[in-house]
Amino acid sequence: MGMDSEKNSLCRLQCSYASLDEAFEIGKETYRGQQYSQIYFARLHLMRTLLYSLVSQWKPQTPVCTVLGLEQGKECVIVGTLYKHMKLKPCILDEYSKERSAVPLVRPHNFMHDDDYLVLEDESGRVKLGGDLISPSVFVTGIVVALHGKETGAGDFSVLEVLEAGLPPQIEFPLKSREDKYIVLVSGLNVGSSDSNPLQLQLFIDHITGHLGDEKEQSIASQIVHVVIAGNSIGIPRGLVNGQNLASKDLSRIAEPIKELDILLNQIAAGLPLDIMPGPNDPANFSLPQQPLHRCLFPGSAAYNTFRSCTNPHSFEIDNIRFLGTSGQNVDDLEKYSDAKDKLEFMERTLRWRHLAPTAPNTLGCYPYTDSDPFFIESCPHVYFVGNQDKYESRVIKGSEGQFVRLISVPKFSESGVAVVVNLRDLECHALSFGTQFSS
Amino acid sequence: MAQTQTLALVEEIESLVSDKLQVVSYKWLSRNYMISSNEAKRLLQEFVEKHDGGLEVVYALSGWLKGSHPSYHIRLVTGPKLAEAQQEFDGNCSIQVYSVQASIPKDPAVLWNAEFIQAEELFKQPWSVDNCLRDNRFCGISSSFVQRNVDGMPVVAATPLTKASVGIGQTKMNVLQPQKNIAHDTIPRADLKSEDVVKDVKSESNGTGSTGVHDQVNKPSEDKEKVVPAGKKKAQSDKSGSSTGGSLASFWGRASAKPKPSSVPVESSNTVSNHNVATEDAQASAREADGSGDDDNQDVTVRRSSNRKRRVVFDLSDEDEDVVSLSSPELPKKQSSQDSKQKDNKSSEKATLNSDTKRENKPMAKEEKSSDKKANQPFQEELSVINKCTNNGKSSSEKPQSCAPDISVNKDSTKNAAPGSPKRRKVMKTRIDERGREVTEVVWEGEETEAKKADKVATKKSENNVSTNSVNSSSGPATKKTPAVANTTGKGSKKTVNKDPKQGNILSFFKRV
Repeated sequence: MGMDSEKNSLCRLQCSYASLDEAFEIGKETYRGQQYSQIYFARLHLMRTLLYSLVSQWKPQTPVCTVLGLEQGKECVIVGTLYKHMKLKPCILDEYSKERSAVPLVRPHNFMHDDDYLVLEDESGRVKLGGDLISPSVFVTGIVVALHGKETGAGDFSVLEVLEAGLPPQIEFPLKSREDKYIVLVSGLNVGSSDSNPLQLQLFIDHITGHLGDEKEQSIASQIVHVVIAGNSIGIPRGLVNGQNLASKDLSRIAEPIKELDILLNQIAAGLPLDIMPGPNDPANFSLPQQPLHRCLFPGSAAYNTFRSCTNPHSFEIDNIRFLGTSGQNVDDLEKYSDAKDKLEFMERTLRWRHLAPTAPNTLGCYPYTDSDPFFIESCPHVYFVGNQDKYESRVIKGSEGQFVRLISVPKFSESGVAVVVNLRDLECHALSFGTQFSS
Repeated sequence: MAQTQTLALVEEIESLVSDKLQVVSYKWLSRNYMISSNEAKRLLQEFVEKHDGGLEVVYALSGWLKGSHPSYHIRLVTGPKLAEAQQEFDGNCSIQVYSVQASIPKDPAVLWNAEFIQAEELFKQPWSVDNCLRDNRFCGISSSFVQRNVDGMPVVAATPLTKASVGIGQTKMNVLQPQKNIAHDTIPRADLKSEDVVKDVKSESNGTGSTGVHDQVNKPSEDKEKVVPAGKKKAQSDKSGSSTGGSLASFWGRASAKPKPSSVPVESSNTVSNHNVATEDAQASAREADGSGDDDNQDVTVRRSSNRKRRVVFDLSDEDEDVVSLSSPELPKKQSSQDSKQKDNKSSEKATLNSDTKRENKPMAKEEKSSDKKANQPFQEELSVINKCTNNGKSSSEKPQSCAPDISVNKDSTKNAAPGSPKRRKVMKTRIDERGREVTEVVWEGEETEAKKADKVATKKSENNVSTNSVNSSSGPATKKTPAVANTTGKGSKKTVNKDPKQGNILSFFKRV
């Protein structure tokens, strides 16, 4: 480690890396035909114990009771899973209903409606939530919260206050001043699709591997210690993968993007450590947590010790700084069923709910775990990133116990030409953009 | 870099850009002439200064952008817009020549094409070559901690590489590719069996293919001689997994055809990569040679014994060679572990096979000989593959049958070898994967006659085999295969008679997929 400023012999800095993806690998799980009640139960159990401990500090005097034990007019605290009843949420039964309602079957962007209401459910029963303090547009199905309020005459539960789990505890950020080391986050390469610009991608690779630029730039590039590709690296034309048998010429059309990606990843892996995560459009499984892309897809790159194929979501530690990221499915799903001012707010909410993907398995594909919920965030990351978003945004949020998290929304590289660079010393980040338009 | 070198390169750049209308980017330059990226950029800068007019230059500007949030921007601009683009940057931005070309294409991605083709070729080189793509040697930053694991999957990786070349079709090594394809087509069948066996087959076919190709292409023997020592040395020094140098040497001594790699340089435009490829092929061949001495190859050689069965029919007598003798002793042992019936055949075959292989391995400068060897080796591998498949659970009768077409093909090859016409070899090669029977469909000249011959032989052979089969009469699941020989996918898909060589073959399904 260390940087030699000698002419023509810059050395790349190194960092320590530890992968924490074990929880996301489905190696040991067995599928015996179970459905999703078990994952909900595991989630409820996990978070209820947590919330009970928090409730005792939050409202020491108010009793905690179950839904069935609610008494009218009596203030109490109930803990359970939220369910949001949405009128516009697409339901398979709608396709079979005799009378088609005026509402179209599926609206792609957002299924919210003014008539949505929330219901709280625990093992004993469910109760509809009322009151002004709880806004259905903020919450989604699958969050476990504690509610303080009382039952009304109508049988609703009128909410006075909401307690979320809050940011999880965080390991201490290593504060000793060190040199600048950078980690680059990029997503949405979409290699092989018609709207990706290979020249732009090649410029990106040339820059981070140290071919491009003068000495000053190369010395900056030598401080890049890690690259994470957060999903959607391959852009196979959608029309080809519709389940039909393929003619042999189509087979090569499917294989070409992957080969091209392998050559590109080869160039990166030959220079610095690389993590690649699967995304919604990648040849990986559909349900979360997505398993790592298979090594056979990258025969050239997988030979390097710097190449790592990771799960989605991906959690790792670099130089004792914890990173957590997804390829975007969790935030995109939240966007369909709730409302926020920007993507970073969705991300902040998931952290405060301590759950990466609360809408799984309701509207987001998920593996039917039986005794655990891997999306529960146990330890607060220092950097939380989400890939395949529309634009680059970043913010720092603070927790009640001194946690601070850098939230990063990584844009799609094929559309924007922007990657994100995070400085490990102080978690400052900036954009790294590439332009190749000649006619300005 | 010496002044003279610089000048020479500058002139070359000029000719490339103006005469061949190629886009010369710094990366392409660095990989083509084996200079570092910084050097290449400097060179382009000099070139631009010397040749002011008539050429378009693309510059790469990089620096921090003016703006509220920090953003490091890198962009490509054409010459005329350089000044304007510089304004966008906050403070100094570094300007470097990215590429020179005769004209700016409408789609900027076209600039990337030449570079990518070069990268693709470097990528396709055999696994153990450490070329400039794979170790990133021309960048400005050294990363000593990067390791590339070659031993882990040397052979398996060869398959995707070669398959890629197969899939893509004719690349620059166009003559070579089909040959390689032939050899490699056996690989899909190998996949049915255990992996290491497959590996061996692949390596063998890899080596075979390359040598075969070279045989075809390279007539002059001097080149062979030249390349042999070079290849040998390289193989011995560079190959990571090479076994005894002794066997390698012996193999080289015998195989006059091996030094075909020199033909490869002829094909490829890039002199440097030619070198690499040449040595690579030599290495591949050498690897294969070494492999023959390995334990792994014993499996393959075991299978060869099944090939021997056919050998019996041919009964070609040739001088013995060490290489062959290496395999022969192992074969019987392996055979014992297999179906006893097959053993009979195999042992009988062994003798002839040995003779055949020996014949093949004999370092005859004649192409046909070498091609025969090539033909036989792929056949053997194919047989071995088939045998493996059959070993999976098929009746032994399948083996003879599967061998039949190969035998017939081999016979053809051997017979053809005698007269010394090179054409036949090619025919058989291409069809090795398809049970050899479909030799007819080869691309190469003279195939018709040979094909027909092969057909006749095939049918004849199959009849012979039938008799042998009945003798062997495998156990229960002995599907009554007609001489046509069903497919030997090892999956139990026994087909009935298939005398028509043009008819589809289920193996071709697997091969394609």
